Amino acid sequence: MWRRLLVVSLMVGLLVLTALATSQAAVKIVFWHAMGGWRIPVIERMCADFNLEYPEFEVVPSWKGSYDETFVASIAAARAGKAPHILHVTQPITREAIDSGIFAVAEDLIDRFGMEVKWEDYIDAVLDTYRVGGRLYCFPWNSSSAILYYNKTLFEKAGVSLSRKPTFEDIIEVGNKIVDGGYATYAITWPILYWWVQQWMAEQGQNVVDNENGRAGRPTKAYLTSDASIQAYEWWKQLYDEGLWVNPGRSAWGEALRIFTSHESAMFISTTAHVTAVQKSSAEGGWELETTFLPIPEGTERCGGTVGGGTLWVTKDHPDEQLKAATKFVVWMSDTAQTIRWHQLTGYYPIKKTAVEILEREGWFEEKPSYRTAIDQLLETKSIPATQSALFGAFRAVEDLMEIAFEEIMGGKPVEEALAKANDKANKAIAEYRRVIGEPIERK
Amino acid sequence: MALIISALLIMTPVILALIGSTHTTFEANLYPPKITPGSAGITNYIRAWDFGLGRMMLNTIFVAAVVSVGKIVLSLLAALAFVYFDFRFKSLIFVFILITMMFPTPVRIVALYDLVESLKMGDSYLALTAPYLASATGIFLFRQHFRSIPSSLADAARVDGAGPLRFLAYILIPMSMSAIGALAMIQFIYMWNQYLWPLIIISSEEKQLIQLGLRMLMQDLAGEQEWGLAMAGVVISLLPPLFIFILLQGQFRKGYALAEEK
Amino acid sequence: MAAKFPQKAMAYFLLAPTILICLLFLYYPTGRTVSLTFYKVAFFGLKKIYVGSDNFKELFTSADYLQSVLVSFIFTGASIVLSMTISLVLAILLNQKVRGIGIYVIAIIWPYTLSFAVAGTIWSYLFNPAVGMINYLLESLFRIKPDWISIGPLALIMIIVTTTWKSLGYNVIFFLAALQHIPRELLEAANVDGANDLQRFWKIILPLLTPTIFFLLVMNSIHCFFTSYGMISIMTEGGPAGATNIMVYKLVHDGFNMFKTGYASAQSLILFVIVVAFTLIQFRVAGRRVHYGGA
Repeated sequence: MWRRLLVVSLMVGLLVLTALATSQAAVKIVFWHAMGGWRIPVIERMCADFNLEYPEFEVVPSWKGSYDETFVASIAAARAGKAPHILHVTQPITREAIDSGIFAVAEDLIDRFGMEVKWEDYIDAVLDTYRVGGRLYCFPWNSSSAILYYNKTLFEKAGVSLSRKPTFEDIIEVGNKIVDGGYATYAITWPILYWWVQQWMAEQGQNVVDNENGRAGRPTKAYLTSDASIQAYEWWKQLYDEGLWVNPGRSAWGEALRIFTSHESAMFISTTAHVTAVQKSSAEGGWELETTFLPIPEGTERCGGTVGGGTLWVTKDHPDEQLKAATKFVVWMSDTAQTIRWHQLTGYYPIKKTAVEILEREGWFEEKPSYRTAIDQLLETKSIPATQSALFGAFRAVEDLMEIAFEEIMGGKPVEEALAKANDKANKAIAEYRRVIGEPIERK
Repeated sequence: MALIISALLIMTPVILALIGSTHTTFEANLYPPKITPGSAGITNYIRAWDFGLGRMMLNTIFVAAVVSVGKIVLSLLAALAFVYFDFRFKSLIFVFILITMMFPTPVRIVALYDLVESLKMGDSYLALTAPYLASATGIFLFRQHFRSIPSSLADAARVDGAGPLRFLAYILIPMSMSAIGALAMIQFIYMWNQYLWPLIIISSEEKQLIQLGLRMLMQDLAGEQEWGLAMAGVVISLLPPLFIFILLQGQFRKGYALAEEK
Repeated sequence: MAAKFPQKAMAYFLLAPTILICLLFLYYPTGRTVSLTFYKVAFFGLKKIYVGSDNFKELFTSADYLQSVLVSFIFTGASIVLSMTISLVLAILLNQKVRGIGIYVIAIIWPYTLSFAVAGTIWSYLFNPAVGMINYLLESLFRIKPDWISIGPLALIMIIVTTTWKSLGYNVIFFLAALQHIPRELLEAANVDGANDLQRFWKIILPLLTPTIFFLLVMNSIHCFFTSYGMISIMTEGGPAGATNIMVYKLVHDGFNMFKTGYASAQSLILFVIVVAFTLIQFRVAGRRVHYGGA
């Protein structure tokens, strides 16, 4: 009896040891991201798939709060030498991420580990956004743009229509007819967010800051009082004053979505990442969804919007084998297969040209034309600094200023005054950032 | 009765949240708002649970219990010192401890993180509990309470030859049950609602606390805010504090009864 | 005052654990952060330059900051007054030895168990000007649809309501405990003397409640000045145009969203000083007004 027990325990012990031995062989990579809610299981599944395909690696994803909270947690961790391997960073913080000195440069990693990446296959506009001085600092992942959604069923009832590339004036006209006719309480809504302002400026070819939007060198001033900016705000204010635009709140994506899907508003400007949710709502609600490009002022030549969303960055201070694993993972995440999957699940666009082709061939876009709009808008974007997005450390501060400016305008302040004040503060923020940072920190 | 109306009014948002947890996203987005239970039934609850809420709640219960007990003990001892002893620097020390209530957590969080990491306590239950053990609130509360207890009792204890600790154990504590109960409840809930510190200091999934889980469900990052899912999470996470609540509010009765027998 | 125990040294032992924790986890980290008030910092200390008192100068001349201070006081004052008054009334109503009173107690105190963030999320949903329940009711009944998030004073009302609702539980717990500690004999004696309800309240109950009132005043202030951060972050982000930009929100925003650590540290120092002063004043007033039954 005891002999049997001994044999069994030895076998179990051996099994456990083997299991430990093999599991220890897997290089563990920590991945912090900021996508909450239903996307958490999606990301977990994707990581699990990667782990299956590459059993020598183990990627462990964790949700770490909002973009800001994730960044703070990472810096704190990096200072203690416990940085996550991969971090999910939002576009405006790009300059700060570079300056923090805790991240490795994407292109360097790829070269170093001899990985094959077909850069030509990536959609240019996306790469341009994240290329600084010709070098790609991070890996594109969840990229999105702004588009306009509208309730076609409601439009038909009201007897109005909207072209695929509408103008500011179109929106006002259509909006008035809808609200006056009682077809919806409001014409349009979008959360108070800097992103739209940046888009409208970009569409008109206007840089947010000087020095080629921060790409030719650190900027010295902002252009919030430019004509493009003023025009955008004046239009926005007009919509508010006439009761056509309703305020869902600051950064209130969900609320804006709700206002639209509940039919209180006939139109809605948002990120293409919302397309899955809106599509679902239209299917359940039995109304037809249609999307268009972002509206721009009449008579302006469309330059295209900016690429938003986030990217994946790899932190520096890790042993080589971990860096290699991390690089492998981030490249894998933008593999054609993954990017198609991610796109279909969420609405963020597929960042590879091949992916777009495959989706086209499979008839995906015919079935779901709304998923296409952002991509078309993107492909038609001119490659100028304005559409490549501003790159400067004080971007976060300027985001705030853009949003608060509108809140003040709602409170009665004239547009020019609010923007002048915002621009003033923006210049100060830019100066302060330069003062503290000067040059990027050299670590190592 | 005014009571019924007040109770209903106050409970309304929570009742709405409860109803909301049974809504599908479509139903949650209707206008006029839907106030009848929806068709998602308990699906939202199952989905919310799958985010790992169960484990997180267990962790939080453990951490909250440890902190509550710890705080009560430390505060009782400290309050005993302040009310029944005279010693040098008494007022100074009291102020020294009291003003810690006014140190906002976010301010010290990064430095605290550094400290905890350098003490090799990072990502541990110890890190989740130790920083919370001192309670100015508790000391303040017990001090107020002790001061309203007749001094004749302390005199009687001295006469009987009882030392301070015996006095504490046999007389003060039994007379403070309602205060202890109230403090326990408050501290439990306080710990239950901690978000920022656990977020920063804990990196292992298994040790996460409940508020993080809730945030995961509520986070509205350029995505669909699934109200039903979020509310299901809220309701689930409300149950343990509610339970502790119901348990401890009986303490009031006890405290009340004790005051009668003199 | 209560007679003291003679073993003086013991007092220090009793206090030792508390003092140690305070020093290690509270004073030390806070001190380190506060030392950054004289710097402009990037990335939490990875880079910093000495700027002397620039941060403070900037704060004192900043219209935004002054607005923040004003808003904080208005918010705290209104919330406390509203919450404590309603709580006291509720506590009195709940202080009846009736069967099943426990259920009402639970129903009324329950919202307190929610975190400020969760309370903020729920109320935000209700207060949404376009599709929220509150405006739906207001429109159906009174044909008005106030824009709670675009108009400053309305946003302030919104957060005051939310905070009051959430803190009712806390205040009721303590008032109830205090009320239940009032010796029956006192109340009965008053009855015998022919006092009516109101007189009983003013002359006996209220004075005996003063320690609790004082305690709650201090605790509520702390909650409003500090803990309410989560709610502001979710409901208004300090807006519109700073109308709800209370000091703690502004400093966390500056420190964690804008990554201006030095500036945020300066703000926390000032906030700390203000609240300490405020509390000390309360203690002073208490010294004269608060009536401790026993000692």
